[in-house]
Formats: sequence, structure tokens, C-alpha cells
Amino acid sequence: MTEITANCTLTPPPGTDAENAVVMARELSKRYGEGDTAVDALRGVDVDIMRGKLTAVMGPSGSGKSTMMHILAGLDRPTGGTVTVDGIEITALKERALTMLRREKIGFIFQTFNLLPMLSAAENVELPLAIAGRRAEGEWLRSLIDDVGLSDRTTHRPAELSGGQQQRVAIARALVTKPAVLFADEPTGNLDSKTGEEVLGLLRRSVSDYGQTIVMVTHDAHAAAIADRIVFLKDGEIVFDCGSMARDDIYDVIKSLESSR
Amino acid sequence: MTRLAWRSMWSHKLRTILTMFAILLGVAMITGTFVITDQMDQGFKTIFDKSAQGTDVVITAKSAFTANYYGPSGTLPASLLDLVKAVPGVGEVAPVVYGSGAVVINGKPVATGGAPTLVYSVTPQRFSQIQYISGAMPAQSGAVAINAKLAGDKHLKLGDTIGLTTEQGLQNVTIVGVFNWADSASVGGATIVQTTLGDAQRWYNQVGRYTSISVAATPGVSADALAARIKAALPTDVTVKTAQQSAADSSKQVSQGFIKVLKLVLLPFGGVAVLVGAFIIFNAFSITVAQRLREFAMLRSLGASRRQVLLSVLGEALALGVVASLLGIGAGIGIAKGINSLFKAVGADIPTSGIVLASRTTIVALSVGIGVALVSSLAPALRATRVPPVAALQEGAALPATIIGRYSRWIAAGVAALGIASLVYGMIGPGTTTVRLSEMGLGVVLLFVAVAMVAKYVVRPLARAIGWPMAWVAGTSGRLARDNAGRNPSRTAATAAALMVGLAVVVFVAVFAQGFKSSFVGAIDRSLNAQFVITAQNQVPIPAAALAAVRFAPGVSDASSITVAPAKISGRSGTASAIGIDPTAFAQMWRFHWLKGGSDALLGRLAGTNVLVEEQAAIKYGLSPGATFTMMASTGQTAKFTVIGEYRDPTLLTGFVMAQPTYDSFLPMSQHDPTLIIAKAIQGDTAQVKASIIGALKAFPTAEVRTKSEYSDYLKKSINQFLLMLYALLAVSVVISIFGIVNTLVLSIYERTREIGMLRAIGTTRRQLRRIVRYESVITSIIGGVLGIVLGVFFAWIVTTRLGAQGITFAVPFGQLVIFLVLAAVVGVLAAVVPARRAARIDILAAIHYE
Repeated sequence: MTEITANCTLTPPPGTDAENAVVMARELSKRYGEGDTAVDALRGVDVDIMRGKLTAVMGPSGSGKSTMMHILAGLDRPTGGTVTVDGIEITALKERALTMLRREKIGFIFQTFNLLPMLSAAENVELPLAIAGRRAEGEWLRSLIDDVGLSDRTTHRPAELSGGQQQRVAIARALVTKPAVLFADEPTGNLDSKTGEEVLGLLRRSVSDYGQTIVMVTHDAHAAAIADRIVFLKDGEIVFDCGSMARDDIYDVIKSLESSR
Repeated sequence: MTRLAWRSMWSHKLRTILTMFAILLGVAMITGTFVITDQMDQGFKTIFDKSAQGTDVVITAKSAFTANYYGPSGTLPASLLDLVKAVPGVGEVAPVVYGSGAVVINGKPVATGGAPTLVYSVTPQRFSQIQYISGAMPAQSGAVAINAKLAGDKHLKLGDTIGLTTEQGLQNVTIVGVFNWADSASVGGATIVQTTLGDAQRWYNQVGRYTSISVAATPGVSADALAARIKAALPTDVTVKTAQQSAADSSKQVSQGFIKVLKLVLLPFGGVAVLVGAFIIFNAFSITVAQRLREFAMLRSLGASRRQVLLSVLGEALALGVVASLLGIGAGIGIAKGINSLFKAVGADIPTSGIVLASRTTIVALSVGIGVALVSSLAPALRATRVPPVAALQEGAALPATIIGRYSRWIAAGVAALGIASLVYGMIGPGTTTVRLSEMGLGVVLLFVAVAMVAKYVVRPLARAIGWPMAWVAGTSGRLARDNAGRNPSRTAATAAALMVGLAVVVFVAVFAQGFKSSFVGAIDRSLNAQFVITAQNQVPIPAAALAAVRFAPGVSDASSITVAPAKISGRSGTASAIGIDPTAFAQMWRFHWLKGGSDALLGRLAGTNVLVEEQAAIKYGLSPGATFTMMASTGQTAKFTVIGEYRDPTLLTGFVMAQPTYDSFLPMSQHDPTLIIAKAIQGDTAQVKASIIGALKAFPTAEVRTKSEYSDYLKKSINQFLLMLYALLAVSVVISIFGIVNTLVLSIYERTREIGMLRAIGTTRRQLRRIVRYESVITSIIGGVLGIVLGVFFAWIVTTRLGAQGITFAVPFGQLVIFLVLAAVVGVLAAVVPARRAARIDILAAIHYE
């Protein structure tokens, strides 16, 4: 165990490289319910998400990993603590400003794709721009659709695409606004291993080739293995914060986390 | 976002079409009403304008107010003609006499379906729009010309002899001419007979008098100037108008008169249809918003603002409203065209300049259609904005409860209280009839909304009660259907509410009519102490001479008549009825329901300026026995009267009763014909006496003789016919609610795809599945039926209690209510056809893998 978690101390502690942190969370806590039945989903989490890196968030169910992602993405509000995205403290923002932030700085990829069934693949990709009232630059859109390998599927409806293709549309949709940070929630959860592989490759490329920042919540060690950094949560706290790891090592960490409950 | 709304509509075609129908039919009814009434307006305007051609000035007796639409109530002395001729600038002058006389062929009057039976004396060519197709203008006594449509329909030709009903009994006349009126063979199905001036005067009680005088100016003299000069030369009791003015006034009278009434009767039915549509749109949007929860959450997480979500839902409603309203306007024009051809088929077509789609019609139809779509989708749209973006990441997220949802009971109670207040205020408050009716209408609408809001609390118990026999008969299918109906009480309640509205109005009409029948017809049964009632066809008066004929018929001991004319009470608006009777003869055939200590002894004193007053008129005008008041006839003549007694009669004698001689001297000759004659037999066989009366009335073929029981049946039948028409209009609303149920079922089945797949996988047959859907539909529709019946009876109760003083009683037709409930169940069965088929077709594997 000690050898495996050895490289986990290599990650500098939060605040040491503020310049390159896209998302910064401090003293983040989230409590559901009140009184005796209250559940603490997060207990004072400090974390920085670094620019141009793929950060995986892992942990057993109930560890608070989804809650943390929701709060970092501005989808949910913490009970205590602050979150800053690209220099803006989002925990202080009003509803309207939060909407604008999501529009401009944040991208999402969902486990269940969440494409609009009545729009074509290309239209789904353009959707965030349409919502913002912007037009897509044709060049960018074409290269993006090319990159995700859907040039021959642009006019297809989601129902006419395979799961992998749908998720690739979703990735293109998330990238189209060039967000400061992209959150992916179990992006391979609904895919078989082969298509999952393709999707992971795509995510990895967008980090390596374009310098995209990605936060990926997953419980799939295979998926986490492509990450530059893996954050392990348990009982609402970060227990390990490691650099990139091999799949088998990740399994071991998870096993140890699950067995020590 | 606009594109999103369009795409969303397009990809849910069935839902879109069903929701569109909800708006379309109501808009079509409103458009149809406007188009038809505008067209009638236009038609009458054309008739009056054409009649005015060639004439510059028209002289008639002065009318203080309008007594009827066909002509002035008074007549002019023939001596005026010379005075008019002497006015400088007067060119040609023509006196005219009008009458109303049916054409009789083989002893039977020609039916006109309610259109007038006009008789005109001849006038020089320049004053008339008559063009002879064959023969010529009648020149001798007993000669007539008839309109071409009449000649064609009845195969009449020159030289044929026909009968013509007149004040002097039936006249045999010979056809010497056949004509078109202003190039048309027919004018709204009316029969037109042209006679010589002398014949018309003799036959229609105008010897030495004219109905009107038409004047043409000499060249260079304007109609206005000539009218002024003639006015100065004539006594003040005549009306002098330019022909143009006269035509405009006549058009206005018709348009403000029965056409306006027709509009006011028809529009509320369009309103009911629109209200039903509103419930359906609300429900359709509520369901789809719930189903699209993830979609909205995803849009929000992509950065869509609440406003954008709101606008995308409202945008869909707007598009739906615009398309449905436009289609509704088209359908309304279609309805109008259909009714036109119907009129044409029965020969009652009015000359029209084609379909008139006034911009007012388009504006009203569009704003109603679009307004309803937007207003009823607002609440669901606001709900959609409350979807948190995080719902996109969560399984099984539900819509957050809204403030309205949390306090719905209190809001419903508030809306109900407001509704009842508005209803009651409309009934007892001040204001014109239109204002009060709108207040009552608003109250009813608010009550509907309130009931729909709280209906969700009774859905489960009702579903349990209605579903019980189904579960008993069909086992699990029945139980599942019952549980499905109770699964989402708000949805079931809103779906049932649409049917509730239509059915509540149907029930209200039925209950109200029942009370009307039992009290009005009952009143005649109680008061009439004679065996026979004689009336004329088309509700027109019977020639006065018929009374003597009945009186002297073999087997008749005595006969009496009722003569009615409109009159004004001085200082009051609206018209009351002046009623003439023969006190001695009438008393033997009529049992007065005396009030305030009156007795038949009062009839002995009914003479001169003494009158009796009916209870409602007494209340309306504040006239009790002993009071003195002034009444004005339509001629402008006034007289002072004294009230000597008060009685109750909601049916026939509704106004002021005076002795016949008083009536005859107070009211003009044209209003002397009785509306009703009653006769008593000496004894013996009623059938024989009836035959004898019919024989005695040979000269008056339009008279219809009925025994007392036949007369009550006839009244009941007329009420039933009217009811059938109302039911037909209300059927549209019920049809719309069928679309609503179909829509809800289809959407619910879509939601339950997975569950249905599971049911099929564990061995449910298609037939069972169809049954489950059908039963759920029937449960929903019966819930709507029950709510509608309860509300309808409640409305009828409120209204009849208020009108109790006017003699309408509250009587519930239980048999009919059962029929309505069965009807509701049938609605449910019909609505289930398509959804059940859809449910049965769901592919098991696809359903289980369905995300």
C-alpha cells in the first residue's frame, strides 16, 4: 500500500500553484438534512483543479464524489466553504450569474448522454451556442465534429446513433464552447468496454492536444487510468491525492478504501 | 430556442395534433358565429339598400319604439298624399300598403321555415326592385304577382288560382305575374305576393290608409332637402326620412335585434369549448414538462437561463396557438359555408356578397386561441423553470413543489369564494344584462377552476369506488386500471376536469329546462279551463276575424282571445306587454292565480283605464294595486292607467291585462290580431268539436287547433327541440374533452413504457393491456361525469332559486342524469381506442431496454 500511494504525496498541497488552478475549493462542506438525521456529504474539502490536466475523482458510493463535482460545477451550493472557477467565486453568485458562468466557463458530459432526441447530431453539438445566442464558427465546428469522428453522422438523430456515438456527440457539445473546465460524470458508465475506450481516448486527446481541463467522476479504474491525477474521497474527505496511476494500483486503493469502512 | 420549440412540436405529432384540436374547435365555433352573423348583417343590409334604390324620401307613421322588424306599426291617412304632392321638388309619389299573408295551396299554407310571408301593393317601376319574368303587374282586384322561387317550388304558372290569408279571411287570387326581386328569385326564403293597392287596403285593414309613401325628387333636388321640405309640410305624427337613412335604420334594427341575440346565444358555446380546451392544454403541458424534466435540467446545465426555459415552453404554446387558431378560423369559415349550403338546400338562402371574414373576427379568434394557449401553459412553463440543473445528473429526479402546489387548497378555496361572489353579484347586483351575464360567466369559470384544483383530492376515493366493479369483473386488469387512475391524482383530475366543464353545462341546461317545463307548462295546465287552444303558424298573430269564426263553430260554447302588443311604461326602459282580453268571456275559461287578496270579482271592474298586473311586472315597475301610471304604445300614444289587481302567470299573461275595448282604442290596428284563441266546448266528443273548429277556420289556414293536452305537448316539444340544439352545440365541448383524455392516456403510456414491457414480459396479454387502458379511461371520464353532474345541478339550483319568484322550479331529471353518466363512460371507451392500441403494440424487449 505504501508503495502504491507513494506518488500521492507528489501532488502539491492546495494553494501552492494558484496561478494554474482553474477551480479552487476551500473548506467545502455539504450537509443534507437537519438534527439527528443530518448527513455530512462533504467535510471540509480543499482542492485545486489544475489547468490542462485530466483529474479523476474516485471513491466508494456515498463518499461524496458526486456532491463535490456538483458543487465545483455550480450545480449545487455548499453548506460551507467557497469555490472559485476561473477566478470567479461562484459560491457567492446569484442564480442568473451562475447561469452565465455555466454558459461560458463550464462544460458537462453525462453518464446517460442527455441528447435532445428531436435535434440532429450537429444541432445537439451547437446547442450550447444556440442557448447563448451565438453562432458557431463553421471551421471550429467542423474540426470538432471531425475530431470526435462524426463527420458522416451530422444529420442523424440520437436514436439513429450507437451509445458510443451519442457520447461522442455529447463530448463535442461540451467542447464547443471551449469551456474553462469540463465535468464528466461517469462518461463510460453506460458504454461497453470498446466504445468506452474510444470515448476515453477522445477525452485524453482533448487534454493532451488542446490543453482542455477535465474533471471526471468515475468508479471505473480503467477510466481513471488515463487521468493525470486521481483524487480519492471517502466519507466526505479527500483521503488520497495522487498523480497518474496504473489500473491495478487504482484497484488496490479502491479495495483498501472499501474494506476499511 | 425557437427552433427547439418547433422541433419539440414536430417530434410529438400526435400530442401536438390533439392539443391543437383543443384550441381549434373552440376558435372555429367563435369564428363561425361571427362569420354567419356578419353575413346575415350584410345580407339584410343589401336587401334594405336595394329596396331604397329609386326612392328619395320615405314617409311612415311615427313609431315611438320598434314593435317588429317587418314594418311600421302605425299607418298613414290617405289624405297625406295630396299634401306630399304639393311640396315643391316632389316628382313621382307612390303610396304602399304592406301586409303579412301566407300563400295557401290546396288548403295548406306554404311553409317558409320561419321566413316572413310578405304582401306588398304595387308601386310604379322606379320605386320597386321587382322585375317581371313572365306576366305583368297586377292591375285588377283579385290579381297577384308572386316571386319566382315560390312559383318554381310549387309549380305555379300564370292563370293559376291560389289562396292568400288576409285579415278578411282567405282570398282566392289569380296569378298574373312572376317576378325576381333585385335579380334574386328568393329573399331569405320569404314568400312575396304583390296585389293591387285597393286589394291590399281592403284585405289588410287599411281602407283609406297607407303603410308608407315613397317619394322621388325632381331632378336637381337632393333627397335631404326634399325630406326637410316634406317634413315641414306634414303633421308631426309622421316620420319623414331619406330612403338611404331609412334603409340604414332598418339594417341597424335587425343587426341590433335578432342578429345580436343570435350572437349572444352562440358565442357562449364557443366560450365553453375554449374553456375545455384550456384545461386540456394545461394538462398536456403539465405532463410534458414533467416528462421533459431531464431535458430542461440538461439545458440549464448547458447554461440556459430560467427565462430561456420559460420561453421555450411558452414558444411551443405560442406556435401551437397560432397554428391552431389559423386552422380554427379556416374551420369556422367551413362551418359557415356548410350552414349556407344547408340554408340554400331548404330554400332559405339570403342574398350575400359571399363569406365575410371581418378583421374583428380574425383578431378575436387569434387572440382567444393564442391567449388560451399561452395562459394555460404558463403554470407548467413556470414549473419547468424550477427544474434545477443538477436534475440532469440524478436518476428519478422529481419536479420541485411550487408555492401554488403547496397552498393549492387555500388558493382553490379563495378562487371558489371569488367565483361564488361573482356569480351571486351577477345575479343580484346592478348593471345591464350583458354586464351581469359576464359577471355570472366569470363566476362559473372561477368555480370550474377551483373544482379542478381540488378535484385531485377526490380522485383516489372516486377511482376506488368506480373501479371496484371493474376489479370485481376483470380481476387484476381492473385493479391495475384503478390504481393507474389514482396514481397521479392531479393529472387524472385535470383530465377529468375538461369533461366536467362540458358536462356541467349540459346538466345545467337539462335541469333548468326540466324546471322550465314543469313550471311553465304546468302553469298553463292549471290556469286553462278550456279544451282548445288556437295559435297561428310561425308565432304570427291570427287574423282577428278568426275569433268570431271559432265562437260560432258548432259545439263551441264560447271562445276568447289574448291580444298582445309591446308598450313602454313612462320613465322606464325596456318594453312591457299590454294584453287585451274580454273580461266576461275570458273569466269562464281561465283561472287567475290572484295575489294580494284579489278575486274574480276584479274582472267585473276590468274596464276603461283599469288594468291588472302580473307579479313580475308589478315587481319590476313597482306598481301595486291602487297605483296609477302612464303607458305608451308603439305609435307614441300615451294613456293613464290604474292598477286594480295583481296575479301570477309566468307563461302567457306576462304584463298588464286590460279590457279588449281599452286595448283596441289604445293600440294601433296593426296590433289588434290575437296571438292565441281559447275555446270551450258545450259538451261531448272533443275530437268532433275540434274537427268542427278546424272546419270553421277554413278561411284562416294558418290557424292551428290543438286540444289542451296537445297544446302542452306542443310546448314541451318546442322546448325539447331547443334543448336538442343546445346539446348539439355542447357536444363540441364534449368531443374536445375526448381529445384531452386521449392525450393524457397516450402521454401516460409513453411514461410507463418500461412498466408495460415488464407486464407483457411476465405474461400480460395484449387484450388485458388494452382493457387496463380502457378501464383507466372510463374511470377518468366517469370522474369527470360525476364532477360535472354535481356542478351542473349546483349551478341550476342557484339559478332557479334566484328565479324561483318568476315561477321556475328546481326539478332534477334523474333519468337524464343517469344517461349523462353513461355518456361519460362512452366518452371514456371512445377515448381509449387509440391509446389502448398503442399500449398493446409496445415491443417487450425495446420497452425493457428503454431508457
